[in-house]
Amino acid sequence: MRTGHFKERTAQLVALSDSKVVWSFAGLLLALVLAAPFVIGNYQVTLLVSAMIAIVGAVGLNMLTGTTGLISLGQAGFLAVGAYTNAILMMDHGWPVWLSMPAAGVVSALVSLLVGVPSLRLKGLYLAITTLAFAFIINHVILYAEWLTHGPNGIFVSGATVMGVDLQRGKALYYLTFGITVLVVFAALNIQRSRVGRAWMAIRDHDIAARVMGVDLLRYKLYAFMVSSFIVGIAGALISLQIRFVNIDVFALILSIEALAIIILGGLGSIAGAILGAIFLSLLPEAIRLFFDVFADTNSSFYTTYVYEIRGITYGIVIIAFLRLKPEGLIGLWRDVRKYWSNWPLAY
Amino acid sequence: MDFLLLLLASGLVSGAAYGLIAMGFALIFKSTGVVNFAQGELVMLTAYISFTLYSTFELSFFPLMLATIPISMAIGLVLERLFIRPMLGEPIFAIVMVTVGLAVVLRGITIMIWGPDPYNFGAGIPAEVVLVGGVPFYPAQLYLIGALAVLTAAGWAFLRFSRMGIAMRAVAANETAALLVGISVSRIHAVAWMLSAAIASIAGVLFAANFKLAPDLWFQGLRSFPAVILGGMDSVIGSAVAGLVIGVIENLFQGYVGQGLREISGFIVIVIVLMVRPFGLFGSRDIERV
Repeated sequence: MRTGHFKERTAQLVALSDSKVVWSFAGLLLALVLAAPFVIGNYQVTLLVSAMIAIVGAVGLNMLTGTTGLISLGQAGFLAVGAYTNAILMMDHGWPVWLSMPAAGVVSALVSLLVGVPSLRLKGLYLAITTLAFAFIINHVILYAEWLTHGPNGIFVSGATVMGVDLQRGKALYYLTFGITVLVVFAALNIQRSRVGRAWMAIRDHDIAARVMGVDLLRYKLYAFMVSSFIVGIAGALISLQIRFVNIDVFALILSIEALAIIILGGLGSIAGAILGAIFLSLLPEAIRLFFDVFADTNSSFYTTYVYEIRGITYGIVIIAFLRLKPEGLIGLWRDVRKYWSNWPLAY
Repeated sequence: MDFLLLLLASGLVSGAAYGLIAMGFALIFKSTGVVNFAQGELVMLTAYISFTLYSTFELSFFPLMLATIPISMAIGLVLERLFIRPMLGEPIFAIVMVTVGLAVVLRGITIMIWGPDPYNFGAGIPAEVVLVGGVPFYPAQLYLIGALAVLTAAGWAFLRFSRMGIAMRAVAANETAALLVGISVSRIHAVAWMLSAAIASIAGVLFAANFKLAPDLWFQGLRSFPAVILGGMDSVIGSAVAGLVIGVIENLFQGYVGQGLREISGFIVIVIVLMVRPFGLFGSRDIERV
């Protein structure tokens, strides 16, 4: 039994994890995910791709809301900006996908300054409402700037090929998404341990105290907005590749709420939590479908008419239940289990 | 000139709806410090309940409201007891997120009960056009504006003179101190939710009578956020006035600047307002001591 964490060198202090067990399990998990497309069917691959995109988006939002404490209800807006940038650059300007995807992130980050700058004076709920306003404004710009976005017609996205490989097909998309997810997660883990990450946490815990200690609020809040939106923009670009068609209906308000639900039920501020939450919530619709398959009829008119309502109600109940019963989220549950396990049989 | 008058008139009508919904927001925010994201859903649910009452008993407007308001207050009380009270002492963010979750649930349930198709809902208001100063109005529009005027006056009087209203202001100013002088803070919270639900039902019925009773009624809740912010989240009267201002601004934008600006002009206005005054026009400034 480990009695504590004893660190003697700087390298140990800054290491992501000092536990061999953690590393080997992470390696095993990576290997499993890498091998998965050869074992499971096409449908499951699609599901996993959606889950991984959700992870990217959730990690991005988590930086803003979980780590820096700036509540955003405008996530759907940033996703839309990313998806539309990717689609417009690829389809209307003929950019290759390896260039248009980073561009989607950059444009999303620049647009986030539009919200970031006014929000510097705002706190808490006023900020939440400003970001909500931003999402509305983005939606309407997309709908009415037809010369740029094709308005309500949307854009079909195809021909994302790199060296002859179509990145929008099954396994290629899977590995692309997987690679980006791993990159984003590692980047996020590293940023959180850097000066920037610590400054963000200081702002979240008490912004005035952070300022007294020499954290430049203006700079670090803008960093949070930009880094978070860059990642969310990339997630948006991935969405456009996966569903092959961007339209304003894809980025409805419910998406922002879903994103918040993910990080709440995962555990605010924790990257592992964001990952768990994203997987949980992406698989939830499947669970609902299975439930109806077993206990009722999936083809019944009730299910087909109200599929969105049923999904919405489940999201709502999940949010409320977690906030009420386990505010630390899934990651808190995991910590409890781990503590129980490692202290057993002395646990109480 | 006629065009301007018409724009102003329809602006006042939609603004009155915003104002009523915003009053509901402000009432809850003032006494509990929570932005109730389920306010729009409360508006929608109570309007649908009223619709059922109306089509079952065929009441005229005032008896209909007499029946709807107590039911709405009961719903407000139940929601507060079941979902908000157990969260007491949790961070505000958590409580706000509970209302977000509640909003999605209420919306889903309402649509599941009453179906996705819109209804025509007259609410027992006569339909003959009335001329006021040369501008034609439907009676439902006048009822809406009248309701806002009456509720604003009543709200002002309630907060100014009644024991409960003064207690509510005390809770808003300092919850701990209010508790110490013997005010039951939990009862104030419950009353705030009940009154807010009552205002929501009035807003919902009159909105549905003016436009349509459709499953996207909840969206009006979000559309009234500009009014809430402009008025300052903790100012009940301010949000009523701000509702009218936003309604008129939206219609002027739509009429003179461009199509499709109606939906976002309010939001553009509040982004600007918040840049200049982060606490809204009439909201009280939060002073933090370190």
